[in-house]
Amino acid sequence: MTATIGKLKSHFVNWRAWEFNPIVIKELRQGVRSWTVTGMLLLFLVVLFLTSLAFLIGQSFEVGENTQLGGSMFSAFVVILAGASVFFIPLYMGVRVAAERQENNPDLLYVSTLSPFRIILGKFLCSSYIALLFFSACMPFMAFTNLLRGVDLPTVFFILAFLFLAVCVANMIAIFLACLPMSKPFKFLFIIYGFFQSFGIIGSLIGSSYMFMRSGVGAMMTGRDFWIGVVTSVSIGAAITGLFFVLAVALISPPSANRALPVRIYLTVIWLLGGLLSFNWVVQTGDAGRMIAWSYPTFFVMMFALLVTVSNADQLSLRVRRTIPQSAIKRIFAFVFYNGAAGGLLWIGGILALTYLASEATQMFFTRTSSGSGEQKNWFITTAAYAFAYALTALFIHRKWLARRPPKIAGLLTVLLAAAWAVVPSIFLFFINKLSWSSVEGLQLGNVFNLFSLRDEENRNLHLLFAAIWFALALVLNFNWFFRQLKIFQPLVRVTAENSPPVLK
Amino acid sequence: MKVQVKNLRKEFGKTVAVDNISFEFDSGHVFGFVGPNGAGKTTTMRIISTIEEPSSGDVLLNGISVCEEPELARRAVGYVPDTLPAHGDITVHEYLDFFARAYGLRGKKRTQAVDAIEEFTNVGGIRDKHLKALSKGMKQRVSLGRALVYDPDVLVLDEPAAGLDPRARVELRELLMLLAERKKAILISSHILTELTEICNGVVIIERGKILETGTIEDVLKKSTPRRTVAVKLLASQLHQNTQLLKELLQTPHVQNARDVANEIHFELAGDDVAACDILDSLVAKKFRVIEFRQTKQNLEDIFMNVTKGGVQ
Repeated sequence: MTATIGKLKSHFVNWRAWEFNPIVIKELRQGVRSWTVTGMLLLFLVVLFLTSLAFLIGQSFEVGENTQLGGSMFSAFVVILAGASVFFIPLYMGVRVAAERQENNPDLLYVSTLSPFRIILGKFLCSSYIALLFFSACMPFMAFTNLLRGVDLPTVFFILAFLFLAVCVANMIAIFLACLPMSKPFKFLFIIYGFFQSFGIIGSLIGSSYMFMRSGVGAMMTGRDFWIGVVTSVSIGAAITGLFFVLAVALISPPSANRALPVRIYLTVIWLLGGLLSFNWVVQTGDAGRMIAWSYPTFFVMMFALLVTVSNADQLSLRVRRTIPQSAIKRIFAFVFYNGAAGGLLWIGGILALTYLASEATQMFFTRTSSGSGEQKNWFITTAAYAFAYALTALFIHRKWLARRPPKIAGLLTVLLAAAWAVVPSIFLFFINKLSWSSVEGLQLGNVFNLFSLRDEENRNLHLLFAAIWFALALVLNFNWFFRQLKIFQPLVRVTAENSPPVLK
Repeated sequence: MKVQVKNLRKEFGKTVAVDNISFEFDSGHVFGFVGPNGAGKTTTMRIISTIEEPSSGDVLLNGISVCEEPELARRAVGYVPDTLPAHGDITVHEYLDFFARAYGLRGKKRTQAVDAIEEFTNVGGIRDKHLKALSKGMKQRVSLGRALVYDPDVLVLDEPAAGLDPRARVELRELLMLLAERKKAILISSHILTELTEICNGVVIIERGKILETGTIEDVLKKSTPRRTVAVKLLASQLHQNTQLLKELLQTPHVQNARDVANEIHFELAGDDVAACDILDSLVAKKFRVIEFRQTKQNLEDIFMNVTKGGVQ
């Protein structure tokens, strides 16, 4: 701790020796030379200029003639800026990262001593810088609209800042997607998906911008609620960016690194902060239902985490084992946060259980304005039990029959189990029931998706019972494995080689 | 700097790329890493350079394990991969400057290091050229420059001479000899074995992931060819006596496998230098007009052909 503080102190004392992240310098040098960036920027400026002309030609400059010209022009600029920056910058950065991520190009991501953290930070900073370039190019046009009336300056700058942050989040997601270890066709499919998804993002950004324009940010700035909303939105954006950042760092870290540690620590911290903020919200409003803002996202993130966790290898690398603490208490924490499926399952189980208990405890002290509390309780527990049952069964199958296959097969099996249980019986019953889908509406134990279509509480309870039995059975099947993992989670003991190798001199 | 490869094994699924190999080498020497395609050379070199992780075993660079402390070990290794530098849209100087920054060199130190490397690898004249505009030889120099820019103690070069013209090869060879003089430990793989013979002090011959021969070039030559091959050439006007000479040699003690090779008689001599002198004396005494009597020189290529079977995994 003292060493870390000392390091930080000396870092800030020697601020004159600070240098830019090498990746930022390299990327910007390449960006400046690239016709893609300069061409796009020029095209962007031309479009902005032509749009301005189109608005101005034929307009009367008489005062009082058109009091909304500025507002109309600003709206058009927002559409152009959002379109250009949400489509182009994440795509540009994503393609560059994906190209450097190719195995046959060990130039950057593998050969140098740059840490994965600095590589991703460099990419992100560079993409933000390019976004800044586009925004600063657009800013004079937007500020000009204020002179034409219809929009106030605080609104102009607020919307620019809001859009800029949204583009930064999109850039980080693009970098994360580019880091995914997928083949080119899959990446291409992701690009297509991202392209269509961008329309939704652009639509919502434009919608929000129009809302701010109509209300006028200048008028709202005095209200407390406005700032609470701003801080909440920025925090959520920062949390999402941070999540994709740590995930991207984990993806480009070597497999032997402790990839799970930063991700699990980050998620735990965000989960705790989110819980505290939601609780504060509950206290402020007196409505226990506000805890949903925390418990639902936690649930969905943990379901994804479950898929990744079961894909972890059981054997820890030497460099991870070297860092396992000697102290038993610290070692238990390390087991939960380090690489490995067993520890990961414990971590997810713990987070889900604590989330559930915290939500329940809040309801004991605060009233709930919305109905359906019992339904949600059932849904939360049943879905979690099913998810663990699928995951543990997949782990068991992988260990017993596919042990020589890579561990990611266990993750794939988890998805296949859930999907097969949802699809295969339905298809079978479709033919049994003389080509009728009536069975889909009925009870299908083992099919987690069926839970959401049921209205009958008795059937939902049957699902809960079935999921709990399956989960318990899967736990029993994995019991020995889990304790073996816990037992072998020990600090590294060095063994000296018996035979010395031949020496070439 | 001592590089110790200990019981290294690497599996890719069911394929064993490197099968429990061990060897050591020290600074100031150039070691050839020789083997047919698919023998496991690149995999071993990538493990030494901390790019790949072994399935078992370890590599120690002055005691630093590439498995346990890859970040620290990486600082000691300069790796020249068999692929040429990408990033075609930046200049040679910017490329080297980027790697100098990436390795933590700052301010004046970085500028000096980049200038020194540009001079050493003779790329100063093309420092403002884009990488995509360079020839293969020049790219190889830049690649070497990148690996040297932070002055590592160990250099791992994977097929650096592949595709280079004869001049570029000679220049590369001279650079490597200079680097060995600067006390770098160099491991180099190449298929141009005659060149390796000239610059390497030691050699590791590998096939199907297993080491077939290791040692100094002389040791390996001796080990792989226990019998010397001697060539006898008669005066041009006496070539008709070759058949008689062949018969004569076949009856001589210590001589085996005598044959006519392009108007020369080659035979394998199981004896020592005295035995060779005796044979020459006896030939002269029998009025054979001998113009050449020499021991044929074996090189790495001959050893490679003798030792390996050309098997791949």
